[in-house]
Amino acid sequence: MIDYQLLIQRYDPEHDNEPRLQRFTVPGDHTTSVLDALLYVQQKLEVTLGLRWSCRMAICGSCGVMVNGIPKLGCKTFLRDYHSDITIEPLAHFAVEKDLIVDMTQFLAHLSAIKPYLINDYSGTTVHKQTPAQLAKYQQFSNCINCGLCYSACPQFGLNPEFLGPAAITLAQRYNLDSRDNGKAARMPQLNGKNGAWGCTFVGFCSDVCPKQLDPAAAVNQAKVESAKDFIISMFKP
Amino acid sequence: MNSPKRSDEPIWWALFSAGGVCFAVFLPGLILAVGILWPLGLLNSSVLQYAQLLSLLQSGYGLTGLAFTGAVICLPLFHAAHRIHHGLHDLKCGYSSATKLLCYGTAGILSVLALYLTLHLILAD
Amino acid sequence: MNIPDSARKPYQNELSRWWWLKQRYYRLYMLREATVLPLLFFIGCLLYGLYCLTQGAAHWQSFQLFMQQGWVIALNLLAFAASLFHAKTFFALFPRVMPLAPAALMISGQWLATLLVATGVLLLFGGWL
Repeated sequence: MIDYQLLIQRYDPEHDNEPRLQRFTVPGDHTTSVLDALLYVQQKLEVTLGLRWSCRMAICGSCGVMVNGIPKLGCKTFLRDYHSDITIEPLAHFAVEKDLIVDMTQFLAHLSAIKPYLINDYSGTTVHKQTPAQLAKYQQFSNCINCGLCYSACPQFGLNPEFLGPAAITLAQRYNLDSRDNGKAARMPQLNGKNGAWGCTFVGFCSDVCPKQLDPAAAVNQAKVESAKDFIISMFKP
Repeated sequence: MNSPKRSDEPIWWALFSAGGVCFAVFLPGLILAVGILWPLGLLNSSVLQYAQLLSLLQSGYGLTGLAFTGAVICLPLFHAAHRIHHGLHDLKCGYSSATKLLCYGTAGILSVLALYLTLHLILAD
Repeated sequence: MNIPDSARKPYQNELSRWWWLKQRYYRLYMLREATVLPLLFFIGCLLYGLYCLTQGAAHWQSFQLFMQQGWVIALNLLAFAASLFHAKTFFALFPRVMPLAPAALMISGQWLATLLVATGVLLLFGGWL
């Protein structure tokens, strides 16, 4: 066991006016994740520490935090990869409710704005067939776990919270590329706006931090191509 | 939810992308030749002398000169204007329809100037 | 039951205009965006050169003298480096925006184009063509 030094950002809305850092010493070995360390702190050292977590296996997307300034899933980040103080803060660009818990209301609103579900007239009871080639078109973009790391990596979302953001636009692409879906026309107006795909300047950090390697930056910029095509088509429509 | 207004970004993005290709493909060689090697006296040919250069730009019914100006002046100007416009937003230094007009307007005026000078050269005797 | 909603006091941190200094990834992004500044200088040189061409051979001579000044060559060296850095980033982004072929193939194809253009320009202006 090695002792690791954790600097955890604390914020108690009932007593604090702004966040502060609190130091904790946590024992760990090569299997100790940041989430393990946070739970150790909560259970052994500071019972009032607030954090969100659930599955411990990078599928629920709850335990996103900033580790030394970079958005990470706590359960997928290990203490062994850090050699000095480890600073843990709540996800950037979101409002902090308490300690490491952020308010994701805006993120969820952006996700629902792009209608993230199959839209079609299909009402039959037989299964909807899809070839492997049709699946491959959108499969990469369908693995999102809504953890919000890409929003914390995106300065454009930080500068303008109205920007739909990487995950929402990737999700729009995911459904637009699905052969079972006919809802593209309903989604394009959101992508066509200045806060849609055009709010992006291809910083690309979202793709770097994505724990599921979706490459959201590629999806957003492919959405720009789609929006540009839509723009040209609209010029020839009365 | 109300539909947001359609952005005119596709126009500027298309010009930005075209300019970006030119900047990446044409400019390195051109800067190396005209900006570095020629001034250092390492390109000792007659091609960059006045009369020869003039006839080069006039070749192909002047299309050479126009293509040159379009690819290494006009499009890269719009590429730069786009990045500066968004850079102002990144730096929180004013980002409005006024800065947009200033950025793309300057690129437009300089492009027209470049094309005017080129036409002047092409049509000169 | 009395719901104490007043206990909520979300803390929103404003992004400073210097956000891009805090992360290496952001600094490289800003560097990429800043490549247009030396580019603008070189375009300025080209515009000046074009103007001098319209004014006759004597002016063209003075343009050559202008380009031979140390600070102009230094800035153009910077513009050359900027164009290569821009090319590196732009070529890497292109296959992600338009995945037409395997990324490695698209990237090397684009570098080949840049190399061919540079060779052509040097051969032409060097008088070997």
